[in-house]
Amino acid sequence: MLTRLKNLATLHRRAVPPVGATPHAVVHAENKWRLLRYHARPQGLAVAAPVLLVPSLINRHYVLDLTPGKSFAEFLVGQGFDVFCVDWGRPDAEDRHVTFDAIADRALGRALRRVCDLSGQPQAHVLGYCLGGTLTAIHAALHPERVASLCCVAAPIAFAEAGIMRTWLTAPGFDIDALVDGFGLMPAAFLQFSFQMLRPTLGLSKAVHLIDRAWNDKFLDGWLALETWANDNVAIPGEFYRTYVRDLYQRDLLRQGRLLAGGRRVDLGEIRCPLLVVTFTVDAIAPAACCAPLLDLAGSADKRRVEFDGSHVGGMTSSPAAKGLWPQMAGFWMGQESPRGPL
Amino acid sequence: MNPWNTWKQGFDAWENATAALVETWMKSPLVLGPGGAALAMAMRAKAKRDQGLAQFWAGMGLPTRRDQERMLHAIHQLNSKVIDLEDKLADAEARAAKNAAHG
Repeated sequence: MLTRLKNLATLHRRAVPPVGATPHAVVHAENKWRLLRYHARPQGLAVAAPVLLVPSLINRHYVLDLTPGKSFAEFLVGQGFDVFCVDWGRPDAEDRHVTFDAIADRALGRALRRVCDLSGQPQAHVLGYCLGGTLTAIHAALHPERVASLCCVAAPIAFAEAGIMRTWLTAPGFDIDALVDGFGLMPAAFLQFSFQMLRPTLGLSKAVHLIDRAWNDKFLDGWLALETWANDNVAIPGEFYRTYVRDLYQRDLLRQGRLLAGGRRVDLGEIRCPLLVVTFTVDAIAPAACCAPLLDLAGSADKRRVEFDGSHVGGMTSSPAAKGLWPQMAGFWMGQESPRGPL
Repeated sequence: MNPWNTWKQGFDAWENATAALVETWMKSPLVLGPGGAALAMAMRAKAKRDQGLAQFWAGMGLPTRRDQERMLHAIHQLNSKVIDLEDKLADAEARAAKNAAHG
């Protein structure tokens, strides 16, 4: 009890653990986005094909490299993977004109090309998280050449099943054009507010949970790291957001095979590489019913699904995820035959 | 059971019930309709105001913030196209080197 009180009283002075701290180099930069390559473990790589991590545009990339000991990227490096990650950066006012195609088609194409060039491998394993998963699925359908396998984590695909988010975005009176024309760049605060509205009592619930576990220093460090990330939202390019909301949330074109990207129709049946779909049991942002249809739509012969106990963020970053989910993902990639055979 | 655990159980029950109730409101057309319309109206007014300001400055012969944004975006696009060309050149060089190696 005393430790709990002391920790709570000194919480404001507690140092935030380092986030996104796994050693890495920036290997490509273009406009605001960067491609990071994590330093390989000292004993060398165990898997030939590199792994490209693609996070959502809405939050910072370091949710996949949260803090030492709770970092998915660090875990993969430790397993002997050559790990790359896209950092979408912080868009500025001029990026209001950045389109959906520029991200899903060109930026991801460039990232994959750099990953293959730098690793000397013809293909890479691709992991997309949340919106990053939707984008990687679209890209893999359009350009399967460099994709060795695809892992989509909590990635919305069938937007008609997207729960309360779709209810809001298709509500009478909601005008996406007015919103984008007015804002230009969709402000981080607006997006943050909409996430908070998914469960307005969550802040209070988190506070009670914090008091309950305040005796545990490890928990407090993890909590601070996660809160740092959760409050580090970024704006989204308006034109990108217009297409995302209109064509995906409102018209559900991706599932119907009618979405156009890069001047071509996106047919998810063109995804032929091994596919792993990860869904979470308590996910209001990307409910399982919205993510799992990728398994039916993709043309892959090797299709697997993992349904993991957890929420949209906690399911990927928690200690149970580190013990239960991450090894399954690493196993999925290790089980794939390397494009050039084993090292 | 200690008092804290008892209180927390009660809190969790209250939080779940309240969240479910709030979700019902947040899905209701009675809330979403006027909320969406008010947001759209505010955004249309903002767009109109921005447009009016831009026209005013343009009338004075001065570049507007929007002009600067368009210019910067065009520079980013050009940069991207230059990288595209570099990539194509690298591909062509690699193909040429491969062909030369095969005689």
